[in-house]
Amino acid sequence: MTTVQNGSRTTVNVNGTAVEMYSGGNGPPLVFFHGAGGSNGWQPYHEDLSAEYTVFVPSQPGFNGTESPDWVKTITDVAHFNHMFIDALGLQDIVLMGSSMGGWVSAEMAAMDDHNIDALVLVDAAGIRPREGQIAEIFMVSADTRLKQRFHDPGQVENYEHYARELSPEEQLVVHSNAIMASQLCWKPYLHNPSLPHTLSRVETPTLIVWGNEDAIIPVECGHLFQQAIQGSQLRIIDNCGHSPAVEKRGEFVAAVTGFLNSL
Amino acid sequence: MAHDLEVFWFSEQPYGHVTEDDLAPYESGRMHFPNTYFDPEKAHVLYSNYHDQYQLADEAGFDGIMSNEHHSSYWCMKPSVNVDAAVITQRTKRAKIAMLGNVIAVNDPVKMAEEIAMLDCISGGRIISGFVRGTAVETLHAGYPPTENRPRFEEAHDLIVKCWTEPGPFRWEGEYWPHRMVNPWVVPIQKPHPPVWFPGTGSPESVIWAAKHRYPYMNLGSLLDLTKQLKGIYHETAAAEGYEAGPEHFGYLIRCLVADTDERAQEIGRTFLWTENHRNRGPMEFNDPPGYQSREALRIKMSRPLIGTGTMGRRMSYEDLQDAYNIIVGSPETVTEKLRHIRRDLEPGYILIYGNEGHMPHEDVMRSVELLGTKVIPALKEG
Repeated sequence: MTTVQNGSRTTVNVNGTAVEMYSGGNGPPLVFFHGAGGSNGWQPYHEDLSAEYTVFVPSQPGFNGTESPDWVKTITDVAHFNHMFIDALGLQDIVLMGSSMGGWVSAEMAAMDDHNIDALVLVDAAGIRPREGQIAEIFMVSADTRLKQRFHDPGQVENYEHYARELSPEEQLVVHSNAIMASQLCWKPYLHNPSLPHTLSRVETPTLIVWGNEDAIIPVECGHLFQQAIQGSQLRIIDNCGHSPAVEKRGEFVAAVTGFLNSL
Repeated sequence: MAHDLEVFWFSEQPYGHVTEDDLAPYESGRMHFPNTYFDPEKAHVLYSNYHDQYQLADEAGFDGIMSNEHHSSYWCMKPSVNVDAAVITQRTKRAKIAMLGNVIAVNDPVKMAEEIAMLDCISGGRIISGFVRGTAVETLHAGYPPTENRPRFEEAHDLIVKCWTEPGPFRWEGEYWPHRMVNPWVVPIQKPHPPVWFPGTGSPESVIWAAKHRYPYMNLGSLLDLTKQLKGIYHETAAAEGYEAGPEHFGYLIRCLVADTDERAQEIGRTFLWTENHRNRGPMEFNDPPGYQSREALRIKMSRPLIGTGTMGRRMSYEDLQDAYNIIVGSPETVTEKLRHIRRDLEPGYILIYGNEGHMPHEDVMRSVELLGTKVIPALKEG
């Protein structure tokens, strides 16, 4: 046995595709899927959760250091691929958590097959089209606009300078490449799957839905729609918070998640 | 035998009533500028003027008329190049009709093949069928994901050429337009099919694609240094493909206006800069949304650093643009001399005259067409 430092980077072979992954911690497995902007690697909230869980943070196909197999062209393809990823790691009885586009992917995975999923956590998830509001435009806007959409109050974001920084040419290439994959997956239908509210009716996994009340990208209305679609699910709305509660209200977010998981 | 120079008339058919003040409040000049500024009655008059210009160009001595298509654009009132080409077939008798072109990635390719074949039959074989990817706005306007533009373009091209060259019915196992039966009744008069052109401004990937297919490449008014480099890439690619490229593979679009005197031409020609601060203004993502350029296109761009640039993004004055031969205005003598310079410098087989802009008075444009056709073009062809 080697001792691995928390948040170390490894590569997992999934049917011939090398998947970049950060992992760390102890306890039952918790797999986290990132949003359309790509992976930010090992984050403080991963570290918090790793006190009680072994946390796995893969870069999904076409994002960051993970190549995309030719056949992965839709979110449901990504969901199939991610099931293969979990099989490749040999994980059993996992906590599945995803944010934004990653929440959409997680919901699709649960709708396909939830027998191996002990708990599902959806965070400001894409995937269901609002009836009254709209999902904001994220592709045809400047990086500056996108950043403003993401956080409700930059003052409560630790390390905000990191998000607002000027990118190096290498980072720009990664951001651009991530945007191409997100565009491929999410352009049309825009950030949702019309079937998802119906296919989610088969999900029996205990589910927590977490939403920032002031989410300017995916309105909180969608949180309610997810709650209606998944039987027995709980909705936890975090006040004064935008699209990324795990970043903007980390303490409250982690407490909500661990409280829910400990109650099961 | 050397290829004879051919000169084409081109009008973007602008809605010239729009002003800088109209545009200034809006976030972008295309997707955000509302069509409440469009008055169909005024458009009726403008279309009629532009078609009169076509007819005169044909009568005065132009070899062809070029047309195009854009969407959500006040500076080009042509949402369908095929509709405009149909008009040209009826207003002209001998000129070639170059469509540059159909945005085939966002249209049904079988219907495109049928319409172009129909135009070729109606015109008695005068059609040149350009295929274009369109600006990103064309893809956004049509509601297609930008990542699909390139693969859709490739498939549409292959399917259209097959419709023209292989007897139907046939099966098409495409990714975007799968058909179990394709059997267009109308096929082109020109065999094996109408000439195909491909345009570009600054992208080497476009040049390489054209050269690999042996299609003439039309540079749309980049500065001369960049244009020469792009032409060099065409020649290199052609050599690698096993053929020698000549003037017949290369055309150049130039903004040009002729009047009876240099002074008068200078005055009218200033309108070439009409609303130029606004037409492509907006978030960069409108012109280059994620996925519109492939990773391969980015790679080619990075591996081939080009010294020049297009004129887009570079602030140049009216005088600078004239010094750079990017706008040519003057008396017939002045313009002939300047076009001779371009001919010597670039050796194009086709010169495409971008001949009006904005609110240029119709009478002045008609006079320009006449002087170009009767004086400049004959003098230019003499050498």
